[in-house]
Amino acid sequence: MMWFCHLASRARGWPARLLAPGVTVLLLALPAAEALAGPGKPAKKLVNVADTRGLAPGFTHWVADLYNTSYWLFGLVTVVIMATMGLVLGYVFDRLIGLLGINLGRMEHHE
Amino acid sequence: MDYFTVYLPIAGIHFNVLLLLLIGFTVGVCGGFFGIGGAWIVTPALNIFGFPMPYAIGTDLAHMGGKSIVSTMRHGKFGNVDLRLGFSMIFGTTVGMELGAQLVMMLERAGLAESVIRKAYIVFLALIGSYVLYDYISHTRRTKTTQGYATAAPRQETLASRLQRINIPPMIHFKSSGITCSLWLPVLVGLFTGIVAAVLGVGGGFIRMPALIYLIGCPTAVAVGTDLFEVMITGAYGAFTYGVKGRVELIAAMWMLLGAAVGAQMGTVAVKYVRGYAIRLLFATTIFIACASVIMKQLELQLASSITIMTAGIAISAVIIGWLVKGIIAERAAARRDEAGGAK
Repeated sequence: MMWFCHLASRARGWPARLLAPGVTVLLLALPAAEALAGPGKPAKKLVNVADTRGLAPGFTHWVADLYNTSYWLFGLVTVVIMATMGLVLGYVFDRLIGLLGINLGRMEHHE
Repeated sequence: MDYFTVYLPIAGIHFNVLLLLLIGFTVGVCGGFFGIGGAWIVTPALNIFGFPMPYAIGTDLAHMGGKSIVSTMRHGKFGNVDLRLGFSMIFGTTVGMELGAQLVMMLERAGLAESVIRKAYIVFLALIGSYVLYDYISHTRRTKTTQGYATAAPRQETLASRLQRINIPPMIHFKSSGITCSLWLPVLVGLFTGIVAAVLGVGGGFIRMPALIYLIGCPTAVAVGTDLFEVMITGAYGAFTYGVKGRVELIAAMWMLLGAAVGAQMGTVAVKYVRGYAIRLLFATTIFIACASVIMKQLELQLASSITIMTAGIAISAVIIGWLVKGIIAERAAARRDEAGGAK
């Protein structure tokens, strides 16, 4: 800091003379600002990040990367995957339960 | 057991796949049978095993969307989904949920949200459970009284039949439900159930199902199927909104959906073999158990509440699967008798 003040006092040329006091004040004020900031509220976790360290390349890694890239895209992919899985699994298990020989036609409503 | 453990990178935890499949299967059976989303089983179950609460809710909603598609497809083939009724209710439900959310904000500003909502939840569950149980008991008594007579007793005037008679245009016929009423009736019922669901912070399945029976007049099976159609839409919306907020553990939701798809298929087919009033009786029991778990939470017995819910979920699924197996055996026996009769 002392070294910079010395340099500022010996500044030559109008741009240097104009800037030197401002930069000096700024540098002197920084430690004070840090001290004033002092101990505040504990920092909150600003962004949730999926930890991909140690994850082998594959579907889980892709999902984690997608999550880290964009929440919007992740939300959209979530709906698409759930809907597709619902349709496919619904169709497959419907066929499988049909193999049990159950009548799966329209049912009558008995109260 | 390490072999079945997977790493869930979004929630940042390791979790047993078999547990996810079991939770999914249990809620799938109950959901397909009662026409509910089953958030009250899944959320505490995931939470008790280490999922942070926001991730538990988001993951539950995500798998709920997929699971409801499986159940709605099967109920649709059984003729239990009244699409016209479902679409009529959606508008009211959406507006109702928004109004309910505003009401919660007002309660929050007044510092009353937590206490008022939980107490309202307990009262509401107790009222629904009591009414459904009362209805079951009076139906059983009526049936016993009329059994000795040759002619059936005249149909009792119900709240639903009175509401159906209100003639405010446009009047609409709902074919699958077999009822004609003013369009305003399902819209207003949707609005009411939407408000209640949003205030209580639940998906609304267990409020809509009895509302469809007792306020609109649907047969029980149609109420179950139509309710699942609504759960499918709210589940998809929930999956998206929680996904955008980064609170869905997609890998866990996929494993749960796999278990839920099997369970949902079984729960849905079980409806075919059970009379409407038996569904109502088991539903009332389920509601009372949910009520007891909320009371435990109110008394700060979080662990006991979660264990009660999980045990009850597994027990109720076992009862439903028992009815399914019994029904299949009876159907096959009847088919064999028919074949033997035809051969003679």
